[in-house]
Amino acid sequence: MAIDMTQFYQVFFEESAEHLANMEALLLELDVSDPDAEQLNAIFRAAHSIKGSAGTFGFADLADTTHILENLLDKIRKQELILREEMVDAFLEAGDLLRNMLEAHQGQGSVDETLVVDICNKLRQLSSNLDGNESQIEAGRSDSASGASFDVQLPVNSNNIFDIQFVPNAASLANGAVEYLLAELNSMGKVEVISRPEKENQEIGGGFWRIKFHTTVAPESFTEQVDFIADSGAWRISNDQNSLPIDNSFGLFEQAEFETDDSYGLFETIPSAVQQSESSPTQADEGYGFFDDLPAIGITLGDGAPSKDLLSEEQEENVGYGFFNDIGETENCPIQSGVGSNLEDDSRGFGFFVPLERTSDDNEIKNPMPDASSSELPASDSGKEFVPEITKLANSGEPRASRSVLSGVAASGDSSIRVSVEKVDQLINLVGELVITQAMLLQTASLMSQEAPEGLANGLAQLERNTRDLQESVMSIRMMPISFVFSRFPRVVRDLSGKLGKQVELKTSGETTELDKGLIERIADPLTHLIRNSLDHGIESPANRISAGKNPVGTITLKAYHQGGNIVIEVGDDGAGLHRNKILSKAREKGMQASDQMTDSEVFNLIFEAGFSTADQITDVSGRGVGMDVVRRNIQSMGGRVEIDSMLGVGTRITVRLPLTLAILDGMSVAVGDQTYILPLSYVVESLQPELGDIKTLSNQARVIQVRGEYLPVVVLHEIFGLKSKWKMLTQGIMVVLEADGTKAALFVDALVGQHQVVIKSLEANYRRVAGVSGATIMGDGHVALILDVSAVAEMAKSSIQIAA
Amino acid sequence: MEIISQAPNPMTDEEQVSSEYLTFTLGSEEYAIDILKVQEIRGYEPPTLIANAPVFIKGVINLRGTIVPIIDLRIKFGLGNIEYTPFTVVVILNIARRVVGVVVDSVSDVISLTPGQIRPAPDFSGTFDTKYILGLVSLEQRMLIVTDIERLMTSADMELIEQVVD
Repeated sequence: MAIDMTQFYQVFFEESAEHLANMEALLLELDVSDPDAEQLNAIFRAAHSIKGSAGTFGFADLADTTHILENLLDKIRKQELILREEMVDAFLEAGDLLRNMLEAHQGQGSVDETLVVDICNKLRQLSSNLDGNESQIEAGRSDSASGASFDVQLPVNSNNIFDIQFVPNAASLANGAVEYLLAELNSMGKVEVISRPEKENQEIGGGFWRIKFHTTVAPESFTEQVDFIADSGAWRISNDQNSLPIDNSFGLFEQAEFETDDSYGLFETIPSAVQQSESSPTQADEGYGFFDDLPAIGITLGDGAPSKDLLSEEQEENVGYGFFNDIGETENCPIQSGVGSNLEDDSRGFGFFVPLERTSDDNEIKNPMPDASSSELPASDSGKEFVPEITKLANSGEPRASRSVLSGVAASGDSSIRVSVEKVDQLINLVGELVITQAMLLQTASLMSQEAPEGLANGLAQLERNTRDLQESVMSIRMMPISFVFSRFPRVVRDLSGKLGKQVELKTSGETTELDKGLIERIADPLTHLIRNSLDHGIESPANRISAGKNPVGTITLKAYHQGGNIVIEVGDDGAGLHRNKILSKAREKGMQASDQMTDSEVFNLIFEAGFSTADQITDVSGRGVGMDVVRRNIQSMGGRVEIDSMLGVGTRITVRLPLTLAILDGMSVAVGDQTYILPLSYVVESLQPELGDIKTLSNQARVIQVRGEYLPVVVLHEIFGLKSKWKMLTQGIMVVLEADGTKAALFVDALVGQHQVVIKSLEANYRRVAGVSGATIMGDGHVALILDVSAVAEMAKSSIQIAA
Repeated sequence: MEIISQAPNPMTDEEQVSSEYLTFTLGSEEYAIDILKVQEIRGYEPPTLIANAPVFIKGVINLRGTIVPIIDLRIKFGLGNIEYTPFTVVVILNIARRVVGVVVDSVSDVISLTPGQIRPAPDFSGTFDTKYILGLVSLEQRMLIVTDIERLMTSADMELIEQVVD
């Protein structure tokens, strides 16, 4: 293997995560009673793509699990099985499991092996449910087989002899899966091992196995097991010549000369493939050179993924349905990449490796495969070398195939590029510099006032516009629609409402509202928490809702929109609402300060206190009283705010306000002595010039100021920062009322300077953390201004009072 | 405010590779530091104060978009007159992947020294711990104190870098 696959891992992880998310969204949209064929196909394709690339990259656990999932999906989309609610549940669970596996491969967390087994078993069980009415389904399927003259119902129970050949993969060698397979096959029939590798562990390929298997069961009951343990696609099952009766029963299959395929065909070298493609009337396209020996074998099921599976025709007949489609049916299907193929073809040939036109037939039945065991090892080696090529094909083929079916989904695939976040951040930084430089130029020019030539002034005005546009465009690169977060909530609501026995409908709006990528990542957890809370505490049980005269189905609304440079996200429910008195009594119980005079919003804010919960019972969903305080802290650490509105019996609405981005901050600049500081605007409530009588002292140490009937602690910035104020009296300066962590304080500064959008710079890059300062920025005049960490400053004031006292 | 070329001119002297050193004065003492650590030299401009920082940390400046802390070594070592004139110089150092500015009285010149010329310093204790001194060099009438500026700047004494144990 000359190519180092690890370099593609990250792409694989990202793509698989996207496929999983896509699959989950589609599953949730799916109408169980009347599933949409397009959606089923899309789900199938997502699972299939994961399996394909997982196989290529050697993540056997992912590939195996997806394979089972895919089998079940395939049966459903072919209407061999009726979709049931429990299947959707199983799919969702399997999706979670796959996500865990992905994370585990990325070094985060681990996978619970028993869970893997459980889910695989569950999926297998679901897909094997049809075994009883197999023939009926088979009949149904052949009816739907697009006019193919395919009317054979194979006597599956005839004693078949299968020739099974495979090269086990490293993982299955390691855990003894081969022995397990043999044992399993033994339970279904009689196993004769024709050849086995001399030293099983000799190398990655493990060695070649050949088994003769006498059985009465249909091959699909063991093909998947073989596929699991085989190195990606390095297996083959053919019906042995002993079971001939089927021979000419397919009108479709004419006898043709049989080109003996050496080794697996699959591992054919390209030159010979080309040769064969020349002889093939189907003009197999050379891009698929790897598969070109198909005509010789007869049936190829290019499933598009690197796990290529070749089934012999006969088995194909037996399998009938099964994941690998029968080529015979797709009569006259031209060889092409599936772009133009209709849905039917697509669902069969799976998009890109569209079955070959069935001109060269497989007479394998009569012509037993030459003993391949002599050549299989070199063959499998050459096969491995081709893996990258297949991947390429799969990658290029996939978007085209999906575009033909789901044009909406595919559109985003080609029109975007993957760029590392660092590059984007670097760009944003550079533009930040440009903005500062531009501001400096503008300031210098304004000093020249009259003397500045008109051309300069015009040029600067133009520059200002251009830099602003540039900054906006660059910032928008980091912007992502909030649907990335919202899309996970239908699942959360579905799972939880099921668990809690409630009926809940989730309505979302404003999914296209864009938010900085950094914020998107950090808002997900708090929002999930809010939604869980609404479900658990807000929405009542259906019985209670009916008795309250409400629709038994509760509604949770999730809204996002822009408002004045902020993103507002609302989580609302039409549930019971917050019970003011209950909160108050609970708060007193916990020893919190609570009085009946408090306003509703103050009372509601109590639920953000640590350890507070009004739930009478602790459930495994919520009610432990940890959470809302974390929610608020998380949101505040993003520079945002949370507000609660609630009406008893009508519902609750929690409003989260976030800044558009983390890189730029709306700030108010204040002067203290000769220094300028930036206050994040989101913390500023109001500012006022204090009157002498407003300021009082407590025990001659702490000062408080009376603002609209409230006494707020006064934080004198120049005292805690050891600066010299311009003023001697507090009445000469300005009090800025700040609100942080639910408490208010008045910050004394010399003067308000202005309001700016500032680019946040790290102090820690070259220095260290400074208490009371969250960062720095560069002002228009080129000077550095520190951005105050409001809550830390308030804390500092508190502790300095304590020291003084 | 010229930017000093960072490319040393390797010369062999007595079969020993010489390195270039930047010399500067603090009060009456003359120091030499490895020129490869020096990014540039610029004039002093009043920095933005950092609250509750040690006195020798003057604050931070904007160096073409980077926030750079400024340290006055004269205050740190209690040398010379602490005054800021148009001739006061800030040496911008590139140390441990950080950018730090150091205020000195004046920058003298760039000299080449071979390891043989650097004599070990006598052991003594003081504000300027000898562990930061690589050695002493006598050059005509002058004595240069060759300083391990990287070690000095990253030391806990300078309070520049958050120490792991804090």
